[in-house]
Amino acid sequence: MLETAPVARRAVPAPGRRPRLARTAPFVVAGLTALALWIAPLVLDTFAVNVLTRSMIYAVPAVTVDLLWGFAGILTFGQAAFFGVGAYAAAMILNAYGATPLGIAAALATAIAAPALLGLVVGWLSFYHRSTPLYASVISLVVPIVVVQLIYAGGEWTGSSSGLVGFDVLPFEIEGYFRLAALVLVAVTLAAWILVRSDAGRALVALRDNEARCAYLGLNPRRLQILLTAGLAAVAGFAGFLFANASGVVAPENAGFLFGTELVIWVALGGRGTLLGPVLGTIAIDYLAANLSGDLPFLWQLLLGTAFVAIIILLPGGLADLVGRLWRVLPFGRSGPSAPALAAREDGTEPTATDTSILKVQGLAKAYGSLTVLEAIDLEIRAGELVSLVGPNGAGKTTLMRCLSDGTEPFTGSIAVGGTAITGLTPNRIVGLGVGRKFQVASVFESLSVADCLRLARASHDGLNPTGRAATLGLPQAALDVLRMTGLDRRLPEPARLLSHGQKQALELAMVVALEPRLILLDEPTAGLTKAERTTIGRVLKDLTANGRIAAVLVEHDLDFVREISSRIVVLHQGRLVLDGTVEAVVGSELVRTIYSGGAHG
Amino acid sequence: MLLTLDILTTAAILFIVSIGLLAIFGVLKIINFAHGAWLTVGAYCAVVTAKLGLNPWLALPLAFLVGAVLGGIAEHFIIRPLYRRPLDAILATWGLGIVVGQLVTLGLGRDVQLTPNLYAGTVAFLGVDYSAYRLVALGIALVIGTMFALAIERTRLGLSARAVIMNETLARSLGIDTGRVRLVVFMIGAGLAALAGVLLTPLTSVDPNMGVAWLIGAFMLVMVADASYLALAAACLVFGAAQVLISTFVSPILGSIAIAVLAALVLRISPKGFSRA
Repeated sequence: MLETAPVARRAVPAPGRRPRLARTAPFVVAGLTALALWIAPLVLDTFAVNVLTRSMIYAVPAVTVDLLWGFAGILTFGQAAFFGVGAYAAAMILNAYGATPLGIAAALATAIAAPALLGLVVGWLSFYHRSTPLYASVISLVVPIVVVQLIYAGGEWTGSSSGLVGFDVLPFEIEGYFRLAALVLVAVTLAAWILVRSDAGRALVALRDNEARCAYLGLNPRRLQILLTAGLAAVAGFAGFLFANASGVVAPENAGFLFGTELVIWVALGGRGTLLGPVLGTIAIDYLAANLSGDLPFLWQLLLGTAFVAIIILLPGGLADLVGRLWRVLPFGRSGPSAPALAAREDGTEPTATDTSILKVQGLAKAYGSLTVLEAIDLEIRAGELVSLVGPNGAGKTTLMRCLSDGTEPFTGSIAVGGTAITGLTPNRIVGLGVGRKFQVASVFESLSVADCLRLARASHDGLNPTGRAATLGLPQAALDVLRMTGLDRRLPEPARLLSHGQKQALELAMVVALEPRLILLDEPTAGLTKAERTTIGRVLKDLTANGRIAAVLVEHDLDFVREISSRIVVLHQGRLVLDGTVEAVVGSELVRTIYSGGAHG
Repeated sequence: MLLTLDILTTAAILFIVSIGLLAIFGVLKIINFAHGAWLTVGAYCAVVTAKLGLNPWLALPLAFLVGAVLGGIAEHFIIRPLYRRPLDAILATWGLGIVVGQLVTLGLGRDVQLTPNLYAGTVAFLGVDYSAYRLVALGIALVIGTMFALAIERTRLGLSARAVIMNETLARSLGIDTGRVRLVVFMIGAGLAALAGVLLTPLTSVDPNMGVAWLIGAFMLVMVADASYLALAAACLVFGAAQVLISTFVSPILGSIAIAVLAALVLRISPKGFSRA
């Protein structure tokens, strides 16, 4: 299926031994850390062992906050609730059944399953089509408050405001709990480390960067966010299980909103989006707090609060960012960016006969309040056509494109892609029907590399590796052509935000083409491009449609460009479709001339 | 009858507590988590006024002044650098709240403080004996609401604020000093919150963390109201009623989370909340 294309050799900087080293290094470091922590109780005093056990358990939910907030961009205070539910589930079951093998198994299973279920509900509430990040944060605030009130209302079951104490726990000494907490923390951190550095981890960052683009690449942002919430709720619940056992007491504040904010503070100070920063930050701050707050409780809180405000304003990346900057100054700290080798992928779509109807629009109308934007649009587009949509500003071109790619837009009439009506379908499901949309303003993942952007474009077809980075990136030939013609194939490891305007447009086009759509929608693909770039894009579009497999609709103002590449032109004016015909017929028409010179407004 | 009065006065208190937050959210598009701290500061103004032996009503202008000055400082040093990072602004203002709370603790102690009631006693009202102060609070809420409405609809600042709410970029390009509008609105918002803190003192005990308890409710109401003070009034009535009814007939614990849960559900169903109506 995959054949390595000639571009591959140019794209890889030099296949050295570094990747293998980079792959094993985390395991070696994790192993050594675990070993050191195993020995640590022998040299630490009892107080330190006790406090650090708690700190390490707290660091586990801190890692989950970092994954959600630092990577996926979801600011959450709710991990405390999941931690508390896990802790209470463990304590309540151990209280009732004792620390028998069965009791422990039931406690563990419930401490993971109950938060996961709650996480599913919270995720469903927080994330829906067009939900905002602020709303998710709001819900994450409400959850711990509700959980705490339920604990208060639980009476004897939950111990109400005094919590539960004196239940049976796992048969460990304090050193045993220290080692258990250390192993769990190392394992969770290592797993998170592997995840965020894998291809699937890039999807988290993509969600944070540009959720809409994710949806228009056929990924379901909502499902990803809900699953992430539920999965990390389970991890936090497991940490709660450990906490209940190690401390032998659970209290309402373990699930509370204040604990949720503390987790966020630790992550922010340590450095969001770095994993190690939050882990070390949590341990250091919690340990310091235990040592200092006895002597100067208010001063300690004051210092912490001040440091938190200062870090948020001045150093959003936290202390880890500072360390990272120093590290990169050192000569061995700079690792060259690497990128996968490009490979051509055989066209996956079965050839459709030319003349098959791909898009059928009947009686489409759309209004914002009393303002009618589109009215009585009938349009049919067949495979192999390259249809240009022209018309003056405000004619409804972009609105039409939006209706074609997002079925949740309120419109009347019918739109069918390949025979399937799209009314009510979210953008990602329409992408699944074979529609690719390129936006007017280039929509890419700014903080991802060019290669990662393209990888995500293939994710709905090929999936994403959750444990590592694939060495090759298979793209359809047409996408490779776009990359080659625009020189992007030589810039694969670079972050997309460093690209020029024109290159971003080309990258987005390549991403959309990589989706192997049957219908490709382009909103002013040449706006702001140079003559050369324009010609390139025109050639790509002509090649794409020439073999008769796909159809393209583009909104365009440049009539010369339109004349050069289109097979058909549709003229939109004041929300109505006024002309639909061949290039010659439309360009020569009197109507178009009057519309463009403004005569038809009266 | 008692229930009706309870609902009306609860709604009034909620309105007093959240109006300052609403002003800031509307214009600055920032959730001010230091709101709870401003409430606390206001309540302590009442404590200090009482200690000095002054008329307790003098605490109102004092609190507004202190709140506005502190708000001005906070806006300049903390909010301004975070205009483009609204989620970070939530965190920074939360941190500011911690700092203010600890400063209050260091300065005035962590113990619960008692203040003289602004307006003690009960009055017989349509056949029931009712707390006089709660009725006064209802009146004050109406006064604050009216003044707020007049400020928004009739003054130059109100006009600028409405322009900034609708389209900040356009407002700036029309020559409105949006930075100054933000500053003034933040000061007014913080001042109103401190004022609310004074008005809360007869109803609740005063301690350094008292503000946090009110913060979440106010925050949820503002989210539902989405920058409209009329919607805020409606939200206070509806959710205040829900809180009173659930507390009375079901359980006080469920009543205490009624606002948060119902507001979250309303937002889930209609992201614009009450402002659409």
